[in-house]
Amino acid sequence: MVSASVSSGDPSVGTTGARPGALGFLTDTTLCIGCKACEVACKQWNQLPMDDFGFTGYSYDNTGDLGATTWRHVAFIERVSDREGRRPTRLKAFQSNWLMMSDVCKHCVYAGCLEACPTGAIVRTEFDTVVIQQDICNGCGYCVPACPFGVPALSLTDGKAHKCTLCYDRLKDGLEPACAKACPTDSIQFGPVEQLMERAKRRVADLRQQGVTEAYIYGDRAVGGTGGIEGLNAFFILTAPPEVYNLPARPELPQRKVLPAFLSTALAALGLGLAALFSLWRR
Amino acid sequence: MGMRYERRWETRREAGRSAAEQARESYYGVPVVHKPHWKWSIVLYFFLGGISGASYVIATLARLAGGPQLHSVTRAGRYLSFLTVIPAPLLLIYDLGRPERFHHMLRVLKLRSPMSLGAWGLVAFSLFSGLSALIQAGQDGLLGRWSQQRLRALPDRLIGLLGSGPAFFLSGYTGVLLAATAVPLWTKNFLLLGPLFLASSLSNATSALLLLLTLARQVSAEISDRLEGLERLALLVELALLLGLRANSGPVIRRPLDEGSTGAVFRGVLGAGVLAPLLLQTLARGHHGWGAQALRVLAAVLVLVGGFLVRCVLLFAGHRSADDPQATFELTRGR
Repeated sequence: MVSASVSSGDPSVGTTGARPGALGFLTDTTLCIGCKACEVACKQWNQLPMDDFGFTGYSYDNTGDLGATTWRHVAFIERVSDREGRRPTRLKAFQSNWLMMSDVCKHCVYAGCLEACPTGAIVRTEFDTVVIQQDICNGCGYCVPACPFGVPALSLTDGKAHKCTLCYDRLKDGLEPACAKACPTDSIQFGPVEQLMERAKRRVADLRQQGVTEAYIYGDRAVGGTGGIEGLNAFFILTAPPEVYNLPARPELPQRKVLPAFLSTALAALGLGLAALFSLWRR
Repeated sequence: MGMRYERRWETRREAGRSAAEQARESYYGVPVVHKPHWKWSIVLYFFLGGISGASYVIATLARLAGGPQLHSVTRAGRYLSFLTVIPAPLLLIYDLGRPERFHHMLRVLKLRSPMSLGAWGLVAFSLFSGLSALIQAGQDGLLGRWSQQRLRALPDRLIGLLGSGPAFFLSGYTGVLLAATAVPLWTKNFLLLGPLFLASSLSNATSALLLLLTLARQVSAEISDRLEGLERLALLVELALLLGLRANSGPVIRRPLDEGSTGAVFRGVLGAGVLAPLLLQTLARGHHGWGAQALRVLAAVLVLVGGFLVRCVLLFAGHRSADDPQATFELTRGR
């Protein structure tokens, strides 16, 4: 489905609704070696407490998931066999059958967490990134299920919601985010979304020429940035269907449901109200 | 403050399945979306807020169109609405990660955030509910003479009519709040949840009023006939919506409604919380003896317990569907 939409000349491929001057990440998973330097750099710079020690049994991934104290998460996918249990007989170019991806907050062009936030704690910054103001957040937790990618989480320590800030403090000082700075292979690239998107398109074309025909951009209007999200400012180059990386192929902005849901509720209120009036009417 | 670490993955692995097996279908079974932390206090808020809004509407309609026979319904409805709205903000504040910052909810008004609308709606409705209860107290002679005269001068029917908007909102917006998330079970049924919460609130409030009036020995044949007509209708709508919700969810997303503890409670709600009260009511209809009265009380209690449990099921089945990556992919592959 994904490769079909890429090859069919879909005009939404490689486009986003990012505002002029938006800054973001291009995470090229074909370059990731799974060193987790991004995870460590993120924890150090943002002074995030450690996660509990433990072995998950999920390949080299003992981080598990993005959370309140984990804002970069390197996923390790061992493609030992496909859904039918067939084992591959030959290795493909780039990462062979061991996929690695450094996951992060997508800083959506239209963000579900931001629209859900009832306190105004979640704001869009001058860099077009999405940041939770810690002095405002009251830990209502509504941003947590409102994210189609499962990014924000409530902290057990301070009760507030946390997620990647795209190193807002470093951007203010003209520095690149800590994870991009630490990445030894430039799998994580930082810059203006417009430039990064052009670079991603060239890279995908190159990869395809070199035999990685499955390569595509995740986070444009065609895949990942769908359903009113209008693109992701932190986007990816992937070489397998999004579900393999635990990403939704066609996510939707949850707030699209608000108006129709209120209309159906108002209609029900009208019907039930009339029924109640009829039932209680003086006889 | 002691440091607590997040350790979430241990609870995620399904029993008897290896990581390799789970890896074949998803990323080791790790959820794609995060579930909310909301627990029993939110369920209780949904329950009490629903009763508060719906009993306000019933009180208003009984005052407007019910005639003198329904005066006791209006009185009980106004008091019940006020009493059930008092704990609502406390339950919400208790649920916050930082309760001392509850007033940050009133910094902004966001029309696309059901929680922001809900916070303001609760404030608006509380004012109406409090005012109507005050007017009722004045009419009942519970207040001093000076304030009673002032309260009698107020247009209580107009106030009730104006307050019915926020009252309906309070009973129904919770369904929209759940729908506007990435939780598969909730967002898949975005058109049904609001009406379901409304219908359930109406049946709960009717049952609570019947119960209160029976206990106060103020229930006449006239009152119980009219209230039961309303309750029957609300229960039938609720039944249709619950079945519709299950059918609309499809085989993957509805798994929490069929399997495990949430599935058992869902079936229990359908049977004991909706069908059984309908049956008991049918048996008691037309009779006003001691036995029929007992059946009515039992039906009302079942409806109230069912109303609480249906909110439990919707919340916790939603948690389970958020934890199921296949449910999320079912939704996000298709569109």
